[in-house]
Amino acid sequence: MSISSRPSRIVLLVGRLVLLFGVLAICELLVRGGIVSSLYLPAPTDVLVQAWQLLGGGSGFYMNLGVTLREFVIGYLVAVVAGIALGLLLGLVPLAEAFFRPFLAALMAVPKVTVIPLLTLWLGLGLGHKIVIVFLFCFFPIVYNTIAGVQQTSEDHLKVARSLRASRVQLIGKVILPSAIPTILAALRTEAAAAIVGAIFGEMVASKAGLGNGLNEATTLYDTPKAFAFIILITLVSVLSVTVIDQLERRVLLKWRPRRSLR
Amino acid sequence: MIGFELSGVTKTYGETTVLDHIDLSIEPGEFLVLLGRSGCGKSTLLELMAGLRTTSTGTIHLGQERITGPHQKIGVVFQDSSLYPWRTVARNVELGLEMAGTPKAKRRELARAQLDLVGLPEVAQQYPHQLSGGMRQRVGIARALALQPEVLLMDEPFGAVDHLTRLQLQRDLLHLWSTERRTIVFVTHDVTEALLLADRIVLLAPGPGHIAATWRISQERPREPDALRTVHAEIHEHLGVPQTVKGIG
Repeated sequence: MSISSRPSRIVLLVGRLVLLFGVLAICELLVRGGIVSSLYLPAPTDVLVQAWQLLGGGSGFYMNLGVTLREFVIGYLVAVVAGIALGLLLGLVPLAEAFFRPFLAALMAVPKVTVIPLLTLWLGLGLGHKIVIVFLFCFFPIVYNTIAGVQQTSEDHLKVARSLRASRVQLIGKVILPSAIPTILAALRTEAAAAIVGAIFGEMVASKAGLGNGLNEATTLYDTPKAFAFIILITLVSVLSVTVIDQLERRVLLKWRPRRSLR
Repeated sequence: MIGFELSGVTKTYGETTVLDHIDLSIEPGEFLVLLGRSGCGKSTLLELMAGLRTTSTGTIHLGQERITGPHQKIGVVFQDSSLYPWRTVARNVELGLEMAGTPKAKRRELARAQLDLVGLPEVAQQYPHQLSGGMRQRVGIARALALQPEVLLMDEPFGAVDHLTRLQLQRDLLHLWSTERRTIVFVTHDVTEALLLADRIVLLAPGPGHIAATWRISQERPREPDALRTVHAEIHEHLGVPQTVKGIG
């Protein structure tokens, strides 16, 4: 079969739906038929009911969602602003970069989850604790990508600006920063997902509220359908936040790029 | 109109001497071609004249002024146009005006005029990746012209475009030059291109870079390469790749 004769989109879609609903139907039958205990695997319809109840505001869902989003947004934004600022500084001052490189590398190498208990000791269970966790989860990659972006600035582009008598500030604002933006954005996209992981994980380890807390509660009570419902909704939140950044990137910051299909 | 005066220009990097005592006087309004194979220092010499590098010893004067850095009377056109991909064509042309603090409305107007001049009024709002190589090079020229320089320094500007586009660009450049008579210093390694364009050809030879020979080409433009085959053969002789007169073309 040649590459060009791919199945039509409708055939693909139908095939995928058949697979999806087939697997779900098998799960349903296994659980309803008593072959697998609903403690281990929830019936998909039960998960659906739970998700529906949560979306209807059950178990304080929107309060928890608000808590998680606040942690995510604050921690992420602080990391973005501080990370880009530090990255620019280190990228523009090679001496500073050379000096701080081992320290940054050492800090980055620490698996961030290991410090969560200590952070609980220092900061308690509340918002500040989660903000710091979110920050730690995404700060260093943003710094690194910003440095890399700055260093990728094309010599030729700089030469053009110098021949047009650019000042130091103009060089940074009109050449270096725009050159670094694609690399910075790549980090912002991946680190948004990492930030959500940080928020949820922090909540699961030590918290009084938030989606991670809700998930933890459901698991502790062996409410498997509810746990699955939480997992699905948390995934949706994560996908949505990455999509927002994606759209911002495509429509505003990188609209000069040739359109490429990502699929 | 304004010319260049180079005296004893030497450029060294550590132990390596790239250019050795270049003395050259470029007349106002002259179309001078710096010809040479790669590694002879011709691009370095151009960047020294552009003020993008500093001489190790020797001086470069533009008119009465000594060149110590980029100068507003000098426009530079680079090898691969080096447009900023994140800016539209119009905003690429405006770049130098932005650096100089020209107000926005004035910038728009000047950029449009330059794009008209290089024959690309319709692509102002497009991005560089949407243009062909030849069009990008025209935009690069418009960008250099936007600040109304008196001298144009061009570093192998047509090296990366296909043959037919190159012929068209050469013709258009000559037309542009004949209407405004700016001084042009044009770097190339293409002997035919040098013969078609130059008032004077300066041949640079490597090891370290020095002026090996010069030719004054006084024939009317547009020129037929065939009519210049004697000089063509002579230049090839100097380049160390002699060819029979018949083999030209």
